[in-house]
Amino acid sequence: MSILTVSDLRAYYITRAFGIEREVRAVDDVSLSVARNEIYGLAGESSCGKSTLIKTIAAATRPPLRLMSGSVTFDFAGHRIDMHAATSSDIAAIRWRHLSYIMQGSMSVLNPVRRVRHAFIDFAHRHIARPMPEFLDIVRAHLRRLHLALEVLEAYPHELSGGMRQRVTIALATVCRPDFIIADEPTTALDVVVQKDVLAMIRDIQQEIGSSLLFVTHDLAVHANLCDRLGVMYAGRLVEEGPTADLLRSPRHPYTAHLVTSLPRIGDATPRPSLSGAPPNLADPPSGCRFHPRCPLAMDICRREVPTMQTTGTAHRVACFAAQ
Amino acid sequence: MARVLRDLLRSNREFGIGIALLAVVVAMAAASALSPYPPNDTYVVPPDIPLSWAYPLGTTSRGQDVFWLLTFAIRNSLAFGVLVALLSRCLSLLIGLTAGYAGGMVDRALMAINDTFIVIPLFPILVLFYFVMRDRMSWVLLALVMAGLGWAYDARLIRSVALGLRTREFTETAIFSGMTARQILLQEHLPYVLPIVFSTTMNNINWSIGLEVTLSVLGFTDINTPTIGVMIYWANQHTALVAGIWWWIAFPVVLVVMTFIGLFLLAVSMNEYIDPRSRLSRFDA
Repeated sequence: MSILTVSDLRAYYITRAFGIEREVRAVDDVSLSVARNEIYGLAGESSCGKSTLIKTIAAATRPPLRLMSGSVTFDFAGHRIDMHAATSSDIAAIRWRHLSYIMQGSMSVLNPVRRVRHAFIDFAHRHIARPMPEFLDIVRAHLRRLHLALEVLEAYPHELSGGMRQRVTIALATVCRPDFIIADEPTTALDVVVQKDVLAMIRDIQQEIGSSLLFVTHDLAVHANLCDRLGVMYAGRLVEEGPTADLLRSPRHPYTAHLVTSLPRIGDATPRPSLSGAPPNLADPPSGCRFHPRCPLAMDICRREVPTMQTTGTAHRVACFAAQ
Repeated sequence: MARVLRDLLRSNREFGIGIALLAVVVAMAAASALSPYPPNDTYVVPPDIPLSWAYPLGTTSRGQDVFWLLTFAIRNSLAFGVLVALLSRCLSLLIGLTAGYAGGMVDRALMAINDTFIVIPLFPILVLFYFVMRDRMSWVLLALVMAGLGWAYDARLIRSVALGLRTREFTETAIFSGMTARQILLQEHLPYVLPIVFSTTMNNINWSIGLEVTLSVLGFTDINTPTIGVMIYWANQHTALVAGIWWWIAFPVVLVVMTFIGLFLLAVSMNEYIDPRSRLSRFDA
């Protein structure tokens, strides 16, 4: 039973200036689904469309980003909502309460001139319709559950360390006990020790609430630690998807294979070859498979046709002619 | 509040000096309530008496006690400055925050109006306004006109900050959490720009008092309401400097300079207090 279903999603950045129209195909034909109580990881290098994809999923699209086709459907315990067909009041009703979003660069999610308490009141109070003292009790109980000192409520964001700020942000996003949490690179700016704590905190809260998590980062090590399933994006397309352990152990797509072999291993000093070339310009992507100019296995068909996601094995999907 | 004041006084010398200067000015303004003479009565005391025990700041050629006249003048000038500043602040906050947050066409339209106001030469307009209004000219009317002309610089300043705030994560999170544009502007962006506004408010009071003095000295305002400028205007009319009645001009000038310096120092030091980041670097939490 999936809580999130994304089908054939296309979201482009369209800019028009001085008569020149540019179309950046940041998300192209992405389909995926996330089950209840599952942690779904989304991997890929910078500018491959990860953030655009989750913005579109959260219906936080603002011009120049535009939804071209496809749909995003959430199913919150029988309450189905199509994010791009629903009215804005419907979407406002589910946000934070059912669907919450830890933004990228969440170090600055908190307003530097407002105390942390006000961030909770401003962002979450409307979604927990309780009188203020009772609401603050809920917040305090939540912070205590996350082992955060209650003093943070009276602090300004700049008085907190990076790790603390990140934890506060996560507490803020989970205080309404949402069914679905989107986290966009929440650990990227942190060192590994703090990262470990924050990841443990995310997992704990996810298990306690029983919510699903869509976790985005370029760091495969984090994915390996946290995620049940992993999707790999390249140049705006989902190229491979599967259970994390299975995908990391036996990647089928040459891009994923390269990602995995590039990971350092303790005791292994062999040099890691880098892929030739650079990620394509999404305003003018290559024909056929977008990976073919860099792919060691590229065949004739790769230049002409776009590979579709094919299921191989039980839950493993891959978009590659060579792997099928 | 008392603790904040004590900390400010202890750690910030500018604040102390500013407060002391303004305290003198405000005390003068408040003393107008105790004046034995109504402000517009003339020949209530012997004219042209230099500084003495009976008349500590001397008397004017029109038979007014300089000290008591000065209390009315500074009261009116201060009230004028504060009124102009408050009204123009409301305008510049509203327009600056809206333009910065909305962006696009709204921003362009508002900034077109804004830039028009910036390039309009104010002084000729105010003089023209006086010649149109003549006898109907009053203190409140002038304040309204000055407020209507004095918001543009700060609106542009606020807009530039708001433009940056719009793309910050906390704004996006606020939108995501379902806050309305009005709530975002009032609860998230307003506190952010307030220190800037506070400092420009002081400067705006200075600007409006300065301009009012200029207009009054030249006689382009309601010369029957005593303000600092009007006092100097009457002194000039009676050629006070030539006649050697220097105290008629010197004391209003000294008092208005004290006001300017006091407000400026207060603006500088309050700015540091209102911004929590610079506050904490100065006081140890």
